[in-house]
Amino acid sequence: MSEATTAILYAPGTNCHEETAAAIERAGGKSALVLLRDLLDGRARLDDYQAAAVPGGFSYGDHLGAGRIFATTLVAKLRDQLVRFLDSQKPILGICNGFQVLTEAGILPGRTPGKRSMALIENQSARFEDRKVRLLVSEESCMWTGGLAGQVLEMPTAHGEGRPLICEPGSPVPVVFRYADAEGRPTLQYPDNPNGAPEAVAGVTDSTGLVLGLMPHPERASLPAQYSQDGLKIFQNLIRWLQD
Amino acid sequence: MPIHTIYTLYKDDAGEVNVERLLSLLVNPLYQDSSERTQLDPARGPIVEIAYRPAVTDPETPSILAGARALGENGLEFARLSRRYQFVGPEEAEARKLAARFLYNRIVERVREPGEVVTTLRPTGTPDPVHSISLAGLGDKELEELSHARSWYAPLSQMKAIQGHELAQGRPHTDAEIEILAQSWSDHCFHTTWKSLGLLKRLSAATARINHPLVVSSFKDNAGGIEFYEDWVVTIKGETHNFPSSIAPFGGIATKHGGVIRDTLGFGKGGYPIGGSTIMGTMDPRLPDADVPAGALHPQLIVSESIRATAYYTNPMGIPMMHPVYRIHPGYAKCFALGHSVGLIPRQYAIKEEPRPGDVALLIGGETGRDGIHGATASSTGMTGETLEKEFAAVQIGHPITERKFTSAIPVLRDAGCVRSITDLGAGGISCAAGEMGAETGVRVGLDQVPLKDRSLTAWEILLSESQERMLVAVPPEKLAEAQAILDRYEVLHTALGRFTDNKRLEVFWHGQKIVDLEVSFLWEACPIDATVVAEPRRELAPLNIPEPTTPGEWGEAVRRVLGHYHCADQQAAGSRFDTTVQGRTALGPFGGRNHRMPTNLYVSAPLRGKTCGVITTVAFNPFYGEIDPAAMARLMMIEAITKAVVAGADYHEMALCDNFYTPRLRPDVAWDLKRMVETIADLSEQLGVPFISGKDSSSGTMESAGRRIDVPPTLVVSVLGRVPDVKKIVTKDFKRAGNKIVLVGRADPQQLGGSVYADSYGQRGDRLFDAYDGVAIREQWDALLRLRREGVYLSGSAIAEGGLMLRIFEASFGSGLGARIDLDVSVAGRRDGLLFGEFIGSALLEIAPGSESSLSKVPHYVLGEVIEEPRLILTEGGRAIWQDFTSSLAAVWSRTFREVVE
Repeated sequence: MSEATTAILYAPGTNCHEETAAAIERAGGKSALVLLRDLLDGRARLDDYQAAAVPGGFSYGDHLGAGRIFATTLVAKLRDQLVRFLDSQKPILGICNGFQVLTEAGILPGRTPGKRSMALIENQSARFEDRKVRLLVSEESCMWTGGLAGQVLEMPTAHGEGRPLICEPGSPVPVVFRYADAEGRPTLQYPDNPNGAPEAVAGVTDSTGLVLGLMPHPERASLPAQYSQDGLKIFQNLIRWLQD
Repeated sequence: MPIHTIYTLYKDDAGEVNVERLLSLLVNPLYQDSSERTQLDPARGPIVEIAYRPAVTDPETPSILAGARALGENGLEFARLSRRYQFVGPEEAEARKLAARFLYNRIVERVREPGEVVTTLRPTGTPDPVHSISLAGLGDKELEELSHARSWYAPLSQMKAIQGHELAQGRPHTDAEIEILAQSWSDHCFHTTWKSLGLLKRLSAATARINHPLVVSSFKDNAGGIEFYEDWVVTIKGETHNFPSSIAPFGGIATKHGGVIRDTLGFGKGGYPIGGSTIMGTMDPRLPDADVPAGALHPQLIVSESIRATAYYTNPMGIPMMHPVYRIHPGYAKCFALGHSVGLIPRQYAIKEEPRPGDVALLIGGETGRDGIHGATASSTGMTGETLEKEFAAVQIGHPITERKFTSAIPVLRDAGCVRSITDLGAGGISCAAGEMGAETGVRVGLDQVPLKDRSLTAWEILLSESQERMLVAVPPEKLAEAQAILDRYEVLHTALGRFTDNKRLEVFWHGQKIVDLEVSFLWEACPIDATVVAEPRRELAPLNIPEPTTPGEWGEAVRRVLGHYHCADQQAAGSRFDTTVQGRTALGPFGGRNHRMPTNLYVSAPLRGKTCGVITTVAFNPFYGEIDPAAMARLMMIEAITKAVVAGADYHEMALCDNFYTPRLRPDVAWDLKRMVETIADLSEQLGVPFISGKDSSSGTMESAGRRIDVPPTLVVSVLGRVPDVKKIVTKDFKRAGNKIVLVGRADPQQLGGSVYADSYGQRGDRLFDAYDGVAIREQWDALLRLRREGVYLSGSAIAEGGLMLRIFEASFGSGLGARIDLDVSVAGRRDGLLFGEFIGSALLEIAPGSESSLSKVPHYVLGEVIEEPRLILTEGGRAIWQDFTSSLAAVWSRTFREVVE
């Protein structure tokens, strides 16, 4: 039986794919760097992978909007593979630009490619913010944070467009992470809340708890030389889930 | 001021375009509005629309077209982007003036007139034909005039050499040939100033004599490299971009980063960038408008635009910021703009090969445009009030996405064996890169296939263009197809320009015409070097006259002056806009401590993922010291940079250095200083056994403005590239525990406040520097520090630099949430304020456990006080507190200065 492999989808301008692969490997999993171009040209298929991660960066230079061209391409050119992936209950992780891609594509929070219901807009400071943040885990039902509810995780964040704008009428979006202050309480205070996120929202999941998007970078808090190893817990949950 | 983005879409005659469908690409309706008609009302104020020039491709165009194709809109032939600004307040003429100054770059952009009829969006334009230019019979004066008028800025001796060459070869040169010679022989490319002083080889000779076992590559390649661990090599390069950054800071700084990153990519057979820095010297951004020299931009604009540009370029590149440093000096009318790039490469690829005849010269990366023409020659000249206007074209435009693409592709090309040699296109463009790479063989290239973003470019402009984000690769012919396939996968443009030959000539073809035919030996060996007169400068220095504080109020005032000084102040308002953790390699970033706000003055990377062996970098930059004694400044910068790394726990036997000079335009007195500085650091490096492996000089730091000459202070930035076996053992400066002793280890002389921040806060410079260590003494100091570190004697530590003990004590408290009590009765003679604010370069502030003072018995040291639980700083004398304050209220002063400048 072949080992479950996580596809790390990257495009021109993505720049966090290698460290995301390193974090998955350190968590005991197997990953493959999959170039979007190879999916488009048929050299690779999403079907061959059991999970997917869209890492951070500035895909296609963030032209027209952060993550928009990556998302447009996914939805327009790879819709069938994407829908099959979602329908087979395979987990997806979007970090930073990857989170922006998932919301632009309508995968988060509504699991409906092509139908956007959430956006990540310019930080309130109108600037790129490089910070170390604390994240209060507020959702137990998300696969990625199973057993972590109530914990405060420390990891870096670095983005210019990360303020969530949630426009899902009716059903509330399950919030997984909230920016927290030194006492571990959700905070609206800058810079502990680096982008002015309403209700301190830093990461959300979908109705199945299998798709996670977050602005901070767990892969930058996973390796022994990094200042925190809290991010590793998220990847370890994935590997446990894949093994079960 | 409302800003509207306009998309102009152009379909081919046959095609249909469904704009409705394209909308999902152009706008996100959750937070953006769109309309096919303008929503701006001319009644509210003038509207100015900025678009790229007709001949120029928008960088966004390929993205829009790719997105449209993905959506199935194949009828879309072309797309353009423009921005419409509505001004509220100014009249039309004033609005256009403001737009020209701040909102667009007229080399590539323009104002689109209302009602303009669009017939095509595709780039259009017709190039000028190739001309011959004969210098035959011209006299000295005419040669000089021609050189200036054509922006060659070649000195008379070079013009005469070209004139002589014309006679010898029996035909006039083409415009392309003279352009190539002028830029290849410019100071920027050829280092004529340094060569005339015999300095270019001075540092490399010292490095050769040191014969350091870790040095892999020094002064030959685009960067210098040392052995890391496990068959990897780490590299460093520092590059200044002073002239473009002075006249167009955003473009200048963005391309400063782009350029130095390409030096890493062009090291060996292709390195990978793992860290960068931005180091700026400007006039004081708080300067009143009236005091800004005519022809110079306001320093506030330079600093804030430089921050924006660094974020714009380095964040998308995915390269962590190691050292964001901002300094001021009234001499930086022509600003100092330095960037470093640190790289990682497997040992087996660290040395490039010579191209072989038949190898393909493959141009990769962006399209070639009109930006950056004459960058090399204009950079090499001084700056005057008119330069801002005349040489605007010399400024390049940066597009990080283009560079990011080949940053991913180059290691793949390299590992597949497709790279014989690689170099970046910087100053001098294709001609310089091809000419240099083919210096031993010869090279024949054609320009017809070069992808252009501007259709009106003529041959010499294509050759000389310094358009960014391009590299030249020598590919073995049997590997060409594989290289092209890799580049296609990574969506990198590539063009086979031609082949390396064996006739030792640079030959260039354009539209069937041979437009360049020069022997490479003439290009690289025939440049005349003018002799330089050297004369000792007369410095007008005055001793300091600063009253020593006596009352608590005066002490508080003194502390606030120093902590709030631009050089000591919190610069996180800039630093937090740069990604410091991308790549996941950062073990210690520029900001640390419990609150992640304390400057660490260190950057430590763990480049091999999962391992804890590390790279450490530090920098030293002080624009004040050079005014008093340039040679001593140079020595102090070396000592400061190395001491910073040694205190952190890095062994000075395992590091190498990079130098970046910035000096005024050559005159006899400037030559004297330059010579002394270089000789001083070359000699010291030999004494210390710490080699320089890379460096760059700029000798154009002079601006003429309204009859006044403004010289930059003699400037040298020294940076350290070192390796450490375990990043977990790095010592930081934040205090660790209340009750521990605070100790100054090394020499101190409180009478020497010359060049200090403290003196500058009184508007004074002084006439003497603290310069207490020679090569032998500083090695003893470092050996002692390393021993203390091995024995675990100190728990926190920092090297003394600007702001003296006081700044370090404050930062160590602020970063830990603890406080400190400092006793001014220590047994060192001299001024009490000198003890606190003196910049004892080479000495260190350490925190040791109580009772471990005996381990310091063999080292000169002074016990200053102790760490206390309460977050406050207390100064005592004779057992009585003479001043105290909370770190939080001092932090407010410390964090205000820089923030007010940039926000």
